[in-house]
Amino acid sequence: MAVCVAVIGKDNSPLYIGGIGNDPNADNELSRQWLVHTALDALEERLSTTNNSNTNSSTNTARADLRDLYLGLLYSTDTHKIYGYVTNTRIKLVLVTSSTSPGSNIRDAEVRTALRRLHALYADAICNPFHLPGDQITSLKFDKQVKSLMLNNV
Amino acid sequence: MTAQPSDSTEFPLEITLKPLALIGLSGLDTINNAIHKTIWDAFSNNRRPDRASVQFKLLHNTFEFPVIKPKRNSYEWYIPKGILKKNWIPKRVALIPAVVVIFYDMEWNDPQWNEKIIECASRVQSIRAAVEGHATRVAVVVVQSGLSPPPSEYMLGAERAQVLCSACEIQSKSLFVLPHSDHLMGYIVRLENAFYDIAQNYYHHETKNIKQHRDHLNKTTHQYLFVRHQFKLGFLNELKQDLSTAHKHYMHAYNNLLETRQVDTNIHEIRTVAGYINYKLCKLLFALNLARDAIAQLKSHIDRYKNRIGPTELLFEHYAWIARQYSAFGELFDEAISLGLPAIQSQHPGFYYQHAAQFTVMRRQAMRSVCCEALQYPPPPDPMEGIVEFYGQRPWRPGRLSADPHDPQKEQAAVLALQYNERVFNHSAMIISFLSSAITQFKTFHSPRMRKQLVVEMANEYYYCADYGKALTLLTHMLWDYRREKWWFLASHVLNRALQCAYLSAKIQDYIQLSIEALSKHIQVPNNDKDRIFRNIMSVLNLNIPAPEPDLPVSSQSRALELWQLAIEKEPLTIVIDMVNISSFLEVKTKFKQAKYRMDDTIEVELFVRLTFNTTLLAKAALLTIASKVETIEIPILDSGMTNVKLEGGKVRRFLCQFKTNPHDIGSDMSIKNVSFILDHERRRKIIMNFKVEDSKSLEPTVHPELLHFILSPKSDYEFDCIVPLNTTSITSRECRLSIEIENAVPALQGEWFPTTFTVVNNEESSVYDLAIALSLLSSPDNPNPDSVTELSYAHGESQPQPLKFQVGTVDEASAYTNLFYLKTNRTATATVQLRVSYKIDFQEMPKLECVKDFTTKITVIKPFEVTTNFVDMGFMPITKCFVDDPFIVMPEIKILSPWDLLILDTELETVECLKYGDDKKPSSCIRNLQVAERNVASDAICVQARYKPKDPPTRVGLYNIMWRRESSTSGPCVMSSSALSGIAIEECPISIEVNYPEVVELMTSVPLKCRLIGRTDVPIRLSLTVEGTDTYIFSGYKKFSVTVPPKDKFELCYNILPLVTGNTVPPRLKAVVLGDNTRQEIVTEIFEKHFPRNIFVMPKYK
Repeated sequence: MAVCVAVIGKDNSPLYIGGIGNDPNADNELSRQWLVHTALDALEERLSTTNNSNTNSSTNTARADLRDLYLGLLYSTDTHKIYGYVTNTRIKLVLVTSSTSPGSNIRDAEVRTALRRLHALYADAICNPFHLPGDQITSLKFDKQVKSLMLNNV
Repeated sequence: MTAQPSDSTEFPLEITLKPLALIGLSGLDTINNAIHKTIWDAFSNNRRPDRASVQFKLLHNTFEFPVIKPKRNSYEWYIPKGILKKNWIPKRVALIPAVVVIFYDMEWNDPQWNEKIIECASRVQSIRAAVEGHATRVAVVVVQSGLSPPPSEYMLGAERAQVLCSACEIQSKSLFVLPHSDHLMGYIVRLENAFYDIAQNYYHHETKNIKQHRDHLNKTTHQYLFVRHQFKLGFLNELKQDLSTAHKHYMHAYNNLLETRQVDTNIHEIRTVAGYINYKLCKLLFALNLARDAIAQLKSHIDRYKNRIGPTELLFEHYAWIARQYSAFGELFDEAISLGLPAIQSQHPGFYYQHAAQFTVMRRQAMRSVCCEALQYPPPPDPMEGIVEFYGQRPWRPGRLSADPHDPQKEQAAVLALQYNERVFNHSAMIISFLSSAITQFKTFHSPRMRKQLVVEMANEYYYCADYGKALTLLTHMLWDYRREKWWFLASHVLNRALQCAYLSAKIQDYIQLSIEALSKHIQVPNNDKDRIFRNIMSVLNLNIPAPEPDLPVSSQSRALELWQLAIEKEPLTIVIDMVNISSFLEVKTKFKQAKYRMDDTIEVELFVRLTFNTTLLAKAALLTIASKVETIEIPILDSGMTNVKLEGGKVRRFLCQFKTNPHDIGSDMSIKNVSFILDHERRRKIIMNFKVEDSKSLEPTVHPELLHFILSPKSDYEFDCIVPLNTTSITSRECRLSIEIENAVPALQGEWFPTTFTVVNNEESSVYDLAIALSLLSSPDNPNPDSVTELSYAHGESQPQPLKFQVGTVDEASAYTNLFYLKTNRTATATVQLRVSYKIDFQEMPKLECVKDFTTKITVIKPFEVTTNFVDMGFMPITKCFVDDPFIVMPEIKILSPWDLLILDTELETVECLKYGDDKKPSSCIRNLQVAERNVASDAICVQARYKPKDPPTRVGLYNIMWRRESSTSGPCVMSSSALSGIAIEECPISIEVNYPEVVELMTSVPLKCRLIGRTDVPIRLSLTVEGTDTYIFSGYKKFSVTVPPKDKFELCYNILPLVTGNTVPPRLKAVVLGDNTRQEIVTEIFEKHFPRNIFVMPKYK
């Protein structure tokens, strides 16, 4: 099941980190943030390699436009699996699933759908005219929707 | 990788080293014999990886081979006491050579050949005796000077080699000759490979021996032997460098070990041996370039043994063992990478070091839970003393296989000893060393954030082992990165730990800086107790010791207090904090009220300060630093006239700074460099908070500047969030109050020196001085490069370098200064002249204020006239070409375009080389001293003739120079304008003709028509002439005849003609046909056509 979802801005600052954990204490939050933060390494690496291959051959530029926003499994630890998704405006979406809890066998397609839905939710959230791009997302509705996404979908 | 010596998990050297075939060298006296020394050095030194995998050992006479164990015929009653003997590998790698090589100095033609051969044979015999029982091979190397040819080409040599072989009882292929004179290294490498072959043969033989044992074994009692034998086979194959076979045998050993029954007493042994075998397996897989298999092997290895915990009171041993598996694998992986294995971000040694660190942390946890009571080492006898024959066995019960501890008391003491050792073990040092290895790897493999996390963990480790200084250094560096990426939660975590470290090490500078940052709205502090932190800052300011941070280790608190007592009243008394780099409780925005100021304006800077932390902050002083090109000034910020600045929590204060510019600032930019607040409580300590304004804008606001206006910000806060800072302003000169008037008679004419009068009027309130006027030409789109075609001058005809400068000096108020300049241009375009007026003026508050103003004036330039040319013959008939030596007239026509009346003073035609004047001397102009007005046309006429036919048709006949001036300027000098006149084609004719006839004749009156033909060539020309008569005339003379025109001479014809009618008549004309060469017929016809009159006017007869 998904244990954490994060939205990270194009400057790599966290815009939203939401998690459903069993215990809400600070250690849990800390390890969750470490996990998401270190996932950025893998994300950045993926992005830079796709960019390089695009610049190398001009034929790839067309493919770049159609590039799948879903990056797949970024990396896995003994306890967690971390999936990445990058929007065209370089907003990074990260989804962390627990590989120890029951029902940990999540299919890739499910994660893809969940991240697509998260993308849609994010787009809705920043459509709010009172939201400033680059600010943290504080919308309660967004939070609620993301939490339900995590509980229901994945 | 260095671990503490007390760590029993470390692999012994013989396991980690690469096994090399051992070759013993005997008979080399390296101390006394220089040749032997060089041979030995060649074998043993500078071993590059491309050389054979062998190790050489110098055997002295005293060397003793290990005693061979009695051969066992049956394993029936044999029960092994352990799995792997500790001394087996060292014996194989250091004591039992595969080959012993005996070096012996001997020439084939040695005079004492017989004695030598006996000595050599006896040496071989003694070695044979020494290795008795081992299957070690023996070889002989005869060291020779290299002067005699090799035995194959040398009968005596071949013979004697044969004799030597039989004397020593060796095969001929075990005898080698080593000439030591030249190419020693080449011989050595060849010998080495030969020895290596023999060694491989030996190891192969050994493996066969071991394989034979197998049939005697049974699974019930000899399970250990299955492991041991397979391990030995693996190792021997490794010595043989047969890596894949070695891997196969190790794998068998590993699997056999898995099948071994495991109890608490042998768990340590099984684990240890499994670790060694796994290490060997992974190492071989890396060497075989099967990195994936190596990783999979480690994974399955860990999975298999993860749950084989063993006795709980020794739980830490289990974690220590796992940590060691990971770290050893990390080292292997790292080694493989340095040998060229590619690794990626998601799979590199760093992860294994990280796991090693994590399991070491777990080891420490286990230690904490099980070793609490192990406060003392058990009393003697020390259970740890004792020699262990097998890897992984316990010293207090060596070689015992039974599952029950045979001596519970001894067992207990041993556990206590292990626990005590674990308790005193420095886990942090080990964790730090693993982490530092991992950090290096993560850095190499593009994982900066992972690296940061590990650095923070490392800092925590330093914190646990009370090395607060190091922890603080690491944390402050990491804090920077988390702050920059705005991961405030992580930043808070790091900052709180750093603050603890700063407190515990009593580092005042760091403590204050971290405390100030802790008050930022982004940072979460434990218990949300920011007031305490603020009070701590104030305490330090008042030279009091601050209150301790929460959750400090008790053991360090008193030490920290001592440190604070020592430090609190000492340096650093002035604490300077760079506020821009940290997130803090003060926010400052500065802006110049205008983006541009004039010199005499008062510059105003608005300063907005928001204190986000809910308190009242009294700053002793606040300073604004402004820098311009020439100086940097500090301006005190005044709070209702006082230097004390009071800030209130949650409010925004606005301050206004006003100051005057420096006269030198003119034309430059002025920028805000710094805003500093000084906290000072009348004690010696000061805290200076600097808000440096960076040019590079390193600290971008969270929101894009263009979006700032959308932020909802309370009006009472001056809409702080929406303020866009303006940190630079430009200083321009004071407004100029001088005016200028321009007087001239435009348009100017091309080529003339055109005078312009300008008048500067002082409209200032006082006199100005140092007035200077500089004139220069400005480029414009239609006149892009005016300097090249236009000249400026103070007077007629003298070109001056630009800009033209007038030093005027002082001009009183309301008075004027007048002067004039001349402009000459060769292009008909508008010339733009800039007049830069600069002066100084004194004001009360600002003496010597400089003012500058640019004025421009445009002067249109037109052509004074246009010249066109006509060509006519001597009869004023237009012509299109002329003939050599045939005069014609050039008629330039001057069309006046100037609106001003002009006076043409003189004209002349400068002919080109191939033309000359028709007259002998230069003719005077027909239109000299002619006064012309606009749209008049003046025609000139100059008679010229061609001197020869040039190669190319001339493009022009010459330059036509016109001397002119404006009619109005009677005194002024004249202007000479030149224009090129277009060219005319020049032809050459073999003859020229002069015809004399009257233009006008009377009716019925006979007139002579004389015609002279002149030969122009070097050959006579024969012509057939005919007269074409007309009805209007009768004529006398030859009608048709042939003539020969002599070269360079003339022939004259004479006719009389008599007109019969009046009016325009066509007279009889001569036609000529060239006889002979008729290539020039056309030109002759043409010249006849041209010269004979086309018509003659006939007057009625006067009666």
